[in-house]
Amino acid sequence: MPSMPLLETFSLTKRYGLAVTALDNLSISLEPGIIGLVGANGAGKSTLLKILLGLLTPTSGSATLLGFDVATQGPELRQFVGYMPEHDCLPIDMTATDFVAHMAEVNGLPRRAARERTAETLRHVGLFEERYREMRGYSTGMKQRVKLAQALVHDPRLMLLDEPTNGLDPEGRDEMLDLVHRTGTEFGIAVIMSSHLLGEIEQVCDHLVVIEAGKLVRSDAVSTFTARTGVLTVEVETGAGQLAERLRQQGLAVREDGREVLVGLANAQPYDLIRDSIVDLGLGLVRIEQRRQSLEELFRPAALDEGTNVAAV
Amino acid sequence: MSQPSEQATGSIYDLGYRRYEGVRLGRRHAMAAIYLQGLKGAFGIGRRTSSKIIPIVLAIIVMVPAAIQLGLAALAPRDVAVIKPENYFGFVDIILALFCAAVAPELVGRDQRTRTLSLYFSRSLLRSDYAVAKFAALVTALLIVMLVPQVLLFGGSALASSDSWAYLQDNWRQVAPIVGSAVGIAVFMGSISLVIAAQTPRRAYATGGVLAFFVILRAVGGILTGTLSGDYRRYSVLMDPFIILRGLTTWIFRSAPEGVIADVHISGWFYLLAAVVVAGVSLALLYRRYQKVET
Repeated sequence: MPSMPLLETFSLTKRYGLAVTALDNLSISLEPGIIGLVGANGAGKSTLLKILLGLLTPTSGSATLLGFDVATQGPELRQFVGYMPEHDCLPIDMTATDFVAHMAEVNGLPRRAARERTAETLRHVGLFEERYREMRGYSTGMKQRVKLAQALVHDPRLMLLDEPTNGLDPEGRDEMLDLVHRTGTEFGIAVIMSSHLLGEIEQVCDHLVVIEAGKLVRSDAVSTFTARTGVLTVEVETGAGQLAERLRQQGLAVREDGREVLVGLANAQPYDLIRDSIVDLGLGLVRIEQRRQSLEELFRPAALDEGTNVAAV
Repeated sequence: MSQPSEQATGSIYDLGYRRYEGVRLGRRHAMAAIYLQGLKGAFGIGRRTSSKIIPIVLAIIVMVPAAIQLGLAALAPRDVAVIKPENYFGFVDIILALFCAAVAPELVGRDQRTRTLSLYFSRSLLRSDYAVAKFAALVTALLIVMLVPQVLLFGGSALASSDSWAYLQDNWRQVAPIVGSAVGIAVFMGSISLVIAAQTPRRAYATGGVLAFFVILRAVGGILTGTLSGDYRRYSVLMDPFIILRGLTTWIFRSAPEGVIADVHISGWFYLLAAVVVAGVSLALLYRRYQKVET
């Protein structure tokens, strides 16, 4: 069986009035997986998710999700979709159990099944005894877990998560990302997750969609964004100029960049040569590493090269 | 129930999740869930005590006339019907309006205030399904509030009467108009209250809006009826929602009109028409509100 695209949009456009164009002729096709949707605030991420859910009507264009037309087959489609909005959406005077069970029933699960799934799902997201308490007293992290649980309780084939780590501390952020990653990989639920933080996407997703000002910038596997480059970075405490000169004499392609010397890896592996040259010149070596592009670097070319935590060779 | 041993082990997150292979019941089940949730919420069931007080107190006040009648019947068993089923609404109409003003914002404003609406609308139902379920919940809540005292009144009168069987034989024809008028009143008050309350997430505005509708139109109706003359005066009573419902009730029971209804003496069909138009316009506006509301 040929695999059906998870999502296809055809010239999707959304305008608010005359002035604001949130989505501009967006056409993409995505295969199932864990997909990161990246863009600055206002790039059109939430608008796209809301159109896919039928919460917004596009100005023009169309879209299919799981093979259903989002405009005309909304109720059928949404049986199989879970949505975690960016904003608060919990009635704080209910308990998490009552609320999630209610939401499961609204998704068509029989009462008994809804109750059982609620208990399982809340455990899965890491809510235990607290689930019998009113959500009024919940921390942001607990609320985010309930929001994830209500998107997952009916066992969707696809989850749309809008900035799922919003407002979380670093620890909560890691836990949430881990949960999303596991849900996507271990249970085979496709995930489309928006974020304005590239690091998060890199951590969790296998496919990346970049939109800016409502337009598609790039859609590709995360690995192609972060492929190793054919360049070796050699950082020394002092004497980068000397080292560059020496290596150039040895016939290597070399470029100097501050305290770093960038060495092309075109032919051989020049590690021994570099080591010997540094020893001969008596320089202090800081690191040698093969450069890997980080997503941060790709989208913020002006930023300093600081995110490449690849182990030194 | 999570067991202590689960907490003790490190990998607690993985224990629960399984795929769901069972049935998915779709839109009607979703509507039923929202309807039941709304009906319970109308009386504060499943919420903290403070949410129960107002609706329950108002529901009890609606029963007071029935209690009075039953008390009188117990003291003086000579069939003194001070409070008759056809008059019951006239005693409690303001209380029912207060009930609507308290409960309608709870039913429709809360989901907007907490922004839960986006979770409903991203599930397997239409926006109109949501509105229909909420409307049905409010109508049912109003029917409960109105019919419980009528049942008490009817049953109590039968028991208090010297010959209960004869009472039932004489009065069973009252059942249809009791239920019919209650349905008419519930649909009328429910639809107008819901559409007003659905306009805003703010509870205070919603409650004030519902009360203002009933109070202002009642005052306007009274002023018009007091100042106009001739046919204008006769039909001006249709400005007052309470008069519309009293006229409708009188007409459904085919009982002798009293007060201003006897005074202006217009056909019962006009009350029915006015009630249908108000309810119809309200429901159309409610539909439109939910088609447009941003989530």
